[in-house]
Amino acid sequence: MELVVPDLGEVEEVTLVRWLKGEGEEVEAGEAVAEVEADKAVFVIEAPLSGTLRNRRKEGARVRPGETIAVIQPG
Amino acid sequence: MRPVLVLRLGRVPYGPVLDWQRRLHLLRREGRVPDLLLSLEHEPVITLGRDATEADLLLPREELGRLGVEVHPIERGGAATYHGPGQLVLYPILNLRELGIGLREYVWRLEEVMIRTGKAFGVELFRRPGQPGAWHERGKVGFIGVFVRGWITYHGLALNVDLSPNGFSWIVPCGIPELSVVSLAELSGARIGVEEVEPLALSAFSEVFGMEVLALSGEEARAWLNQRG
Repeated sequence: MELVVPDLGEVEEVTLVRWLKGEGEEVEAGEAVAEVEADKAVFVIEAPLSGTLRNRRKEGARVRPGETIAVIQPG
Repeated sequence: MRPVLVLRLGRVPYGPVLDWQRRLHLLRREGRVPDLLLSLEHEPVITLGRDATEADLLLPREELGRLGVEVHPIERGGAATYHGPGQLVLYPILNLRELGIGLREYVWRLEEVMIRTGKAFGVELFRRPGQPGAWHERGKVGFIGVFVRGWITYHGLALNVDLSPNGFSWIVPCGIPELSVVSLAELSGARIGVEEVEPLALSAFSEVFGMEVLALSGEEARAWLNQRG
């Protein structure tokens, strides 16, 4: 399943500030996985399901709501 | 109108308030407390947001320690900022989803609270595109740094009223070298303190967020917190 930047409300683009979980790391549903920032506001992205985190986009990337920033492979 | 419970805490050190915010954020998320607003002044402290670097500190940490200034790296958006006596700080712990507002609208409303508060003292503040906060021609007066998880907010805004000392001289504020930082008292030419500004800022918050303010002060506010500690 793809990990997607949520609709943050009229925000066109955010910076993928940092990953809280490593490439290949196991994550649990609801766990904080990444932080994005826009307008002096940091927003935490949580895992929608449990699994292995893969294909993480680079920290510092500019990303848009709806864009995929990683994949979570259900274990 | 939806209620917001305001906890007026007076002057408090940074660390315990940060712990409280994190705790209340979780309780809000679990629906065990209502929407909250912490209203306070801090003892002198420098906080380093996600975008701050060590170079944003203009004095060595030992020197800051001697001056009694704490330094806290924290999770909010933005770079380095200063809080201290003479600055009104508001930390809303709100469920944005229930309020039906997104991230941009939230930041806009925090700016609006500061702009309306300035106006109440005859000071015209405005927004700068791409530089969230409350600005005057002479410099930056109001600061924003927000953290959102599960659509519940914490951290918030800081409005300079009459800073003493002006600890912004110890840092590169917001990561902008030579940024001019001013306060409402300088701009209005009147002797105003946080005591005068706080009630007007709370009214502005009530108007801008369409929320009814229910306030607990001092001992009552602390008792409320301790019951949830």
